[in-house]
Amino acid sequence: MTYEILSTPVNSPASLLFKQCLAEIDPENKLLNSAMNEVGGYFLNRTEETPVSNNLWDRVLDQTKNVKSPSKISDEYDPLLSQLPITLRSHLKNNEVKWKSFKDVKVASLLPKENNEKLELIHVMPGAKIPQHTHEGNESFLVLHGSYSDEYGSYKQGSVQVRSDDHDHTPVGHAQTGCIGLAYTHGKIKFSGKFGKLLNIIAN
Amino acid sequence: MAKVKNPFVDALKNIAERQDIGSFKKIFDYFGPRLKSFLMKSGADEAIAEEIIQETMTIIWTKADYYDSSVASPSTWIYTIARNKKIDILRKTRKAILEDIDTAILPPVESKADENIEHDQKFEMVAKYLDDLPKDQLDLLKMNFFEEKSHGEIAEITKIPLGTVKSRIRLALEKIRGKLEQDGSMANLISDNESMVN
Repeated sequence: MTYEILSTPVNSPASLLFKQCLAEIDPENKLLNSAMNEVGGYFLNRTEETPVSNNLWDRVLDQTKNVKSPSKISDEYDPLLSQLPITLRSHLKNNEVKWKSFKDVKVASLLPKENNEKLELIHVMPGAKIPQHTHEGNESFLVLHGSYSDEYGSYKQGSVQVRSDDHDHTPVGHAQTGCIGLAYTHGKIKFSGKFGKLLNIIAN
Repeated sequence: MAKVKNPFVDALKNIAERQDIGSFKKIFDYFGPRLKSFLMKSGADEAIAEEIIQETMTIIWTKADYYDSSVASPSTWIYTIARNKKIDILRKTRKAILEDIDTAILPPVESKADENIEHDQKFEMVAKYLDDLPKDQLDLLKMNFFEEKSHGEIAEITKIPLGTVKSRIRLALEKIRGKLEQDGSMANLISDNESMVN
């Protein structure tokens, strides 16, 4: 599954950010991702030239004069943040991220919704149980920190679960570590349990 | 000692260390027209393609110190920046939200490669491997990772069964991954021997 996701071309910021995190979380993925990028670089070297406008170089120079020098991502001490891929840390630092708090779960939308795609950071507190729900469209969930389990198994850091709308489950965060994960969804999550209707209204 | 084969490694270093405009121009002259081909082939019109080149060059200028020659070849680094920038710029809302994702391509590495090893020879080996691939196999890789087509689209275009497309691409990638994994000193040794023959 990981390979499938890594080798599918990205065409949106949400899928790019998800893929970057996936590549970062496991050295094997990272190497595979590097291999793919090297192929892109190889062809860039060998592609034909298309002449650029005469003034493009001047535009580039102008822009470099006005640009402020970038701030490197400092290793500020936050034990939770330091667990996350650097891509995500830098994104969180540079963007205003709004958290929604539910009982034992916090959800942050990482990017503005676009074409029915969304990317969310989900923080499940230790031992917390998320009400039974299905997924509208496809959801890829990447475990970034800790672990969780549901009726079908338990999922460790670095694993990806892909679920479609016929999948119904009740995840529980690991009793000690809880779980932080990245959810990339096409469509909305649909709660299906007892309090489903109410939660659908809140969540969406 | 490894020989410097790739002039752009030095160019990026000069930009990082002393904001050298000459090196910057060298990168622009070489990569600008190539990036334009890449961007226009993958869906950008001329104006957008040049906007993306402009943004890409700006990132090269400001983040050259993030470039680590042991992690990627210069063309790969530049290709990746341009591709990410394209995704950001082609969005509807056009507000840059992936401002810093470029740095994450290659996170700042504390263990910066030994200053004496100017360029890791493993990238030359990857290029050599690709040079030697049969054209039909190389075309699959080009479609997937340069023209950014999905496996399904490639199967349709080439009339090769989807499973075969997937397994061929995967096999090539595993080979490349193996080369990237190789110990730098070993790669240097091999290329030193080669340069003795030349």
